[in-house]
Amino acid sequence: MTLQLLIVDDEPLARRLTREYLAKHSDINIIGECANGEDAVEAILKLEPDLILLDIHMPRLSGLEVLEITGRSNGVIFTTAYDQYALKAFDLHAVDYLLKPFSQERFDEAIARAKTLQGVQHTNIPVLIAETRLERIVVRDRGQVQIIPLADIDYIEAQDDYINICWQGKSVLKTQSLSSLEAQLNSQEFVRIHRSFIVRLSAIKGLERISKDAQVAVLHNGTKLPVSRTGYERIKLHFVN
Amino acid sequence: MYPILFQLRYLPWYLCAWAIAGVALAWILVITQGTNWNAALLFSVPALLVYGFMATSAYYICRSLPLANRTAQRVIFSFSSASLLSAFVWLCLCLLFNNLVIAIGLQGLGIAMTPQLIAVLFSVACLAYLVSLLTHDVLIAFENIRDAELKRSAAQVLARDAELQVLRSQINPHFLFNSLNSISALTAIDASAARAMIIELGSFFRKSLALSSNTYIALSEELALCEHYLAIEKIRFDNRLTTDIAIEPESLSAKVPPMFLQPLVENAIKHGICNLSEGGVVSIMSAVHETWLYMTISNPIDSQPSSAAGTGTGLKNLKARLENLYGDRVRMTWQKNQTSFRVEIIIPLDF
Repeated sequence: MTLQLLIVDDEPLARRLTREYLAKHSDINIIGECANGEDAVEAILKLEPDLILLDIHMPRLSGLEVLEITGRSNGVIFTTAYDQYALKAFDLHAVDYLLKPFSQERFDEAIARAKTLQGVQHTNIPVLIAETRLERIVVRDRGQVQIIPLADIDYIEAQDDYINICWQGKSVLKTQSLSSLEAQLNSQEFVRIHRSFIVRLSAIKGLERISKDAQVAVLHNGTKLPVSRTGYERIKLHFVN
Repeated sequence: MYPILFQLRYLPWYLCAWAIAGVALAWILVITQGTNWNAALLFSVPALLVYGFMATSAYYICRSLPLANRTAQRVIFSFSSASLLSAFVWLCLCLLFNNLVIAIGLQGLGIAMTPQLIAVLFSVACLAYLVSLLTHDVLIAFENIRDAELKRSAAQVLARDAELQVLRSQINPHFLFNSLNSISALTAIDASAARAMIIELGSFFRKSLALSSNTYIALSEELALCEHYLAIEKIRFDNRLTTDIAIEPESLSAKVPPMFLQPLVENAIKHGICNLSEGGVVSIMSAVHETWLYMTISNPIDSQPSSAAGTGTGLKNLKARLENLYGDRVRMTWQKNQTSFRVEIIIPLDF
């Protein structure tokens, strides 16, 4: 059985080298090459490759963001020149990676290991992604990759199995739980004010009491969000009237 | 901040000293005027404690006349007028207090004010205020020396940080390993291109080591270093990286600190070209106007927020390094808009 493989790297020479190393693997068929993260997302969803050689630093989207958007968690070999922080996390989760420049032997080893794990879902890649502190949120919405800077977000609402991200008057749905997103956000900037709501602190204009023990948070854009009792405990330090 | 009144541990000692002076004055009164001890103490101790507070105002007078730009006339005028004024105010207070004590009619208290005594009190108060002025001058001088030392050590730390930054930019591991990977690819497909890249890489590292040991180099040398660097990056990024270098011939001989341009070029690629799928142009421009060298480096950036956005530490460090070398005769500014980033530096040609 031949394996379908996708090469993702922004440097043409790096892709050439991978092709060369793959020449002696007759059971592997290269089905595509991508030079940036956005193309990689499309190719992974369309071609469903068995194996992906994925560079971490790329234009548009990073390697980890590509996996997050596609939900892909098996058959991935990361390639990188140097990233001391990412590599520490990779070691911790036993995710395979190739350090550039790598030899044919090291490359074959990684391919062999990937073959034995063929079809096995890696639970450690989602964990790795979940542990990464977010700098922005990436979502694929109607075939388009949206990149949302954290500073533009007003609030995030939980809706069944989705979260609804609201920023600059726009909103988009993403499959993720509110709690897992909360863990990825800086608690100095984002606060969970309710079971179903996370708010960016600086988006809040003030708190309003609507009854004896019910509060709402009023945002700069006029939106009013419910504040639960525990949410009020978390937020009141920032808004002592 | 006033050194005595605002440091509580000094205040008791200060008051103690003035209280002792008060006892001494009482003793003089007893001996010369034949006043009884109770009356003398009741008058002199409060009077001198009050004067102790009045004398602290000397600090502000000393401060208003910085040691660096004093003229004899101004010092004599302000010191003597301040002394006379405070002695006069104090004497009025003393007389008022003494009269009050007498008016209340406490038995045997209050002292007899003779014109001689008033004259003595006035001149002693003047002298005491002068002494206070001189003491504060000394205190302020010590304070200035300590401040200057603090500033100097802070500047040294900054200079060392800048030095470290230079060393670090020589060996950017990401650049080195990616270049080695490109060479590794080229060996099989284009051996002579691989050799050319190794030579560029060697020249870049040799030049950066040689240059960074100097305090100043010619701009032409810094540009040569950047060209080696750009040649390597052009092989890596293929047609994604193009350059537009416009150098005025007069600026080539300008003296500049080593490795001041290279980190900016590196940033332009790392935070600009790297994030653009279709690549872009890095522009370097230099010009000489009168006695100033103008440099501009600009690059396109992704309009979407980047995952590899810089924190600006590199720019701030470079600015600190330039300010350390040229003081306030250097201008370094950077602007970022939706699609481009631009750094401008103006440094003096003569220094």
